Amino acid sequence: MAIALNKLDKILKGREGSSFELIEVLQDIQRDYRYLPEEVLRIVSEKLSVPLIEVFKVANFYKAFTLKPRGKHLITVCMGTACHVRGAPKFLDEVLGQLKVKPGETTEDGEFTVETVNCLGACALGPLVVLDGKYCDHMTTAKLRVLIQEVRGNAKKK
Amino acid sequence: MSEYVTLTINGAKVKAPRGSSVLDAALDYGICIPHLCHMRDLTPIGACRLCIVEVVTNGKSKVTASCTLDVQEGMVILAHTEKILKARKNIAEMLVAQAPNSRAIQDIALKCGVKQVRYPFRNDNCVLCGRCVRACTEIWQSKSLGFVGRGKERHVALPFDKRPEFCKRCNACIDLCPMTITPCPGPMKKGEEALCGLCESQLSMAQDMQDSCVDCRLGEGFDCVRKKP
Amino acid sequence: MLKKSKNIMKTITNTNDLRKLSEKSKEENKKYDKIVTLCAGTGCCASGCLPVITSLREELERKNLTQNVKIRTTGCHGFCEQGPLMVIEPGNIFYCHVKPEDVSRIVSQTLEQDKVVEDLLYMDSISNKKIPYEADIPFYKLQDRIVLIQNKLVDPCNINDYIANAGYSALTKALTTMNPGEIIEEIKKSGLRGRGGGGFPTGKKWEFCRKAKGNPKYVICNADEGDPGAYMDRSILEGNPHAVIEGMLIGAFAIEAEHGYIYVRNEYPLAVNHAKIAIQQAEELGLLGKNILGSKLSFDIKIARGGGAFVCGESSALMVSLEGKVGEPRPKDIHTTEKGFMDLPTNLNNVETWANIPFIINKGASWFASKGTAKSKGTKIFALTGQIKNTGLVEVPMGISLRKIIYDIGGGASNGKKIKAVQTGGPSGGCLPEKLFDLPVDFEALAEAGSMVGSGGMVVMDESTCMVDVARYFLEFLIDESCGKCVPCRVGLSRMLEIINDITEGRGTEEKLNLLEETAQTVSIASLCALGKTAPNPVLSTIKYFRSEYEAHIEEKRCPAGVCRELIHYSINKDKCKSCGACLKACPHNAISVKEKVYIINDEACQKCGICKESCKFNAIDIK
Repeated sequence: MAIALNKLDKILKGREGSSFELIEVLQDIQRDYRYLPEEVLRIVSEKLSVPLIEVFKVANFYKAFTLKPRGKHLITVCMGTACHVRGAPKFLDEVLGQLKVKPGETTEDGEFTVETVNCLGACALGPLVVLDGKYCDHMTTAKLRVLIQEVRGNAKKK
Repeated sequence: MSEYVTLTINGAKVKAPRGSSVLDAALDYGICIPHLCHMRDLTPIGACRLCIVEVVTNGKSKVTASCTLDVQEGMVILAHTEKILKARKNIAEMLVAQAPNSRAIQDIALKCGVKQVRYPFRNDNCVLCGRCVRACTEIWQSKSLGFVGRGKERHVALPFDKRPEFCKRCNACIDLCPMTITPCPGPMKKGEEALCGLCESQLSMAQDMQDSCVDCRLGEGFDCVRKKP
Repeated sequence: MLKKSKNIMKTITNTNDLRKLSEKSKEENKKYDKIVTLCAGTGCCASGCLPVITSLREELERKNLTQNVKIRTTGCHGFCEQGPLMVIEPGNIFYCHVKPEDVSRIVSQTLEQDKVVEDLLYMDSISNKKIPYEADIPFYKLQDRIVLIQNKLVDPCNINDYIANAGYSALTKALTTMNPGEIIEEIKKSGLRGRGGGGFPTGKKWEFCRKAKGNPKYVICNADEGDPGAYMDRSILEGNPHAVIEGMLIGAFAIEAEHGYIYVRNEYPLAVNHAKIAIQQAEELGLLGKNILGSKLSFDIKIARGGGAFVCGESSALMVSLEGKVGEPRPKDIHTTEKGFMDLPTNLNNVETWANIPFIINKGASWFASKGTAKSKGTKIFALTGQIKNTGLVEVPMGISLRKIIYDIGGGASNGKKIKAVQTGGPSGGCLPEKLFDLPVDFEALAEAGSMVGSGGMVVMDESTCMVDVARYFLEFLIDESCGKCVPCRVGLSRMLEIINDITEGRGTEEKLNLLEETAQTVSIASLCALGKTAPNPVLSTIKYFRSEYEAHIEEKRCPAGVCRELIHYSINKDKCKSCGACLKACPHNAISVKEKVYIINDEACQKCGICKESCKFNAIDIK
């Protein structure tokens, strides 16, 4: 599948040659493309005059970036200390067990991506799971099962 | 300003050119400080931490790597205190447990007094000393290699794991790799690792390169000429 | 909630204009009979404050009250556990857990008839009484809120609100009555130390940077708050971004820096947005740009979004990251104040430090220094989280005891269990046991005890927390977040985790515990940056204070807190079980069977997910 490059032109506009902007540019690409496609990164390297290996390094170093497309639904489990002592590891195991993926991976059907985050700073609401940007507070394993099944069910109906 | 400064290393008065590192000054003087990632002509990165020393200022001491520390007039360095030797030995033990097949690392471990490895062997081979990365970037200006990923994921890789056309196939990366410098005659099999204690060669003498080098991961990406069949 | 910048009037070029604008904004606020302040910080947003705001707005419109009542949506008030929060002034009436359906009652009773809606009041769990006024609630009453209280007073997206609250008056004072040397002297005299973790004297840092050679100089605000369980920087930047900007402006004037950056975590979208709006408004008003307020100060601020790497909170790594590269710390033999961002002199402080500056300039160094202890001055914000009743942000004078914070302000354990430890300082800090709770909270006392103040996270742990598991948690965190550059941190930490895993999975031995300690020492001595040097603290402090728990895992193969999976078993207590069958229905792994009304958990099939325990209403599931 060819990747639309017009979005990239917009992102790169006015930033040519400024290697300082690399992380900001990648943030924008991640937002617009939902991941960092290889061919896009090759163009970024050229346009910003940053060696390709640097681009690859930055893309791999920061958690905000993914080199593979994310699933339709993103489940983020907060692994902050406050959530941890309130039982977050159990939920993570549950999500991973149910969807049969590892953290950072996407299910085979492309429906779910599971990610962990090291604190969202909403500790009062912990344990916290974020489903597609929606904060689900005071999680329990049972609530989580239901939540995933609901999303699954909705997807099937469509 | 004088071009030379005088500092004290292990009690000895050492004269060294301004701008040189404490490690180089010590080595030139003949004080042996074990090191792995350091190579003259390459930018020091302070990654292996074998060359740690104590810097004493106003009676207080601070531990830092000597390869990234510039000499200063009147500086007092202690390179072989009990604290340093203990930590250095432990680091060498960690290194040799990661790459038991590297003769260069075996030598270092031996020099640091490692007699027994208490960690399970990992056979990772690469210890991320970054000699290859810096040689590629700084000497050859090729920028084909880099450290990719962070923390436990960090590894040496090519962009998108493909050999770029600007790689000059100079093989400098392989020549400088501690896995390939005077390789250990018999690579150890998984589960059979041990420190034989027979070798005592100098680290950076790349003589007697054997045809059958140990199985290092670098060769895989490169069509390395020395890659084992 | 994301807002757009409001249109602002013309640029102000002198201090007189600023004063006039302040008075005008104050007058405008006086037009209203009532001001309803609603917390719209990340915490309250997640508990659903936005629908409340919408329905309040609709209700006021419906009743034609928009001319009389002002809605002020603000940043975090700190009492996140009780959110969504609402404060009505004048009167200081405090409502908590407000829902959209409560709005009509609030409008008709409190706003129209000055009556209090009883059931929305805060219930004090100790006295069992309802408390109508915010100032009387123990959680707030026992604090000394200087920085944090501003969050309640200003709309972060409206610069006029900040200016009406004496905003930018410290900048005026600095520019018109002080020279850079005097400012640095004042900050030094105040005794302010960096709030980000290290506790380095701020005035001294400024002085180094001012004296350093090189041009231009940079001023950076570190808002890459990565410590799990700490969110005060986010709350300040979200709730009062202009205080940070004002602090940076004063710093820039003292150091003679020309450019500034705010480096903020991308996980904090609201903070990013509010900071952006604030910068834009300050630019439009001429408070950022060339010749600010007619002085010789020219200064601009840009925002850089972090890419999600804990190590970038370390100053040298942050600066490399700002240059668009991989954020690896560099050896600190040359200070960043001399060679920092782009190898130019750079002064970096965190959000809370910057937010304190305007107060010190306005009220004087001696006022600030009168709070706190001999070596730790002023107030510090802590994020109180974990198994505690009153989760939230707490601002207290340095030197207050841990006990006071945890029991008097925090209200003690959340579930009636006994509190056994508090983890302070995030992944670089340590766990302190209950017997040390009388320690004063200051930089030195906590460091001596094997922990640190750090950025101010305080995670309270009760008996249901396994301290070995906590140590393991932090190791996993640090291994994930270490840049991986140096051997002690990368290899050492993973070896430590290997050993801890052995211990929590029943393969621990005395020798392994000794090796764990030795490795930890090596990591703390030999690592390249502060992240690595402090990384073993959670392990060392738990071994120091909770050795018996390690020994139980090693010698008895038992996890006293019932956490470590490999060492625990779920069973059904026959005496408590009422044979309701809820657990059987709930178990996703078919590990529960029933024979003649006796329920049994099959150990082999049990995945220890805990769903049965959640589902049991009679507390009949035992973990041993």
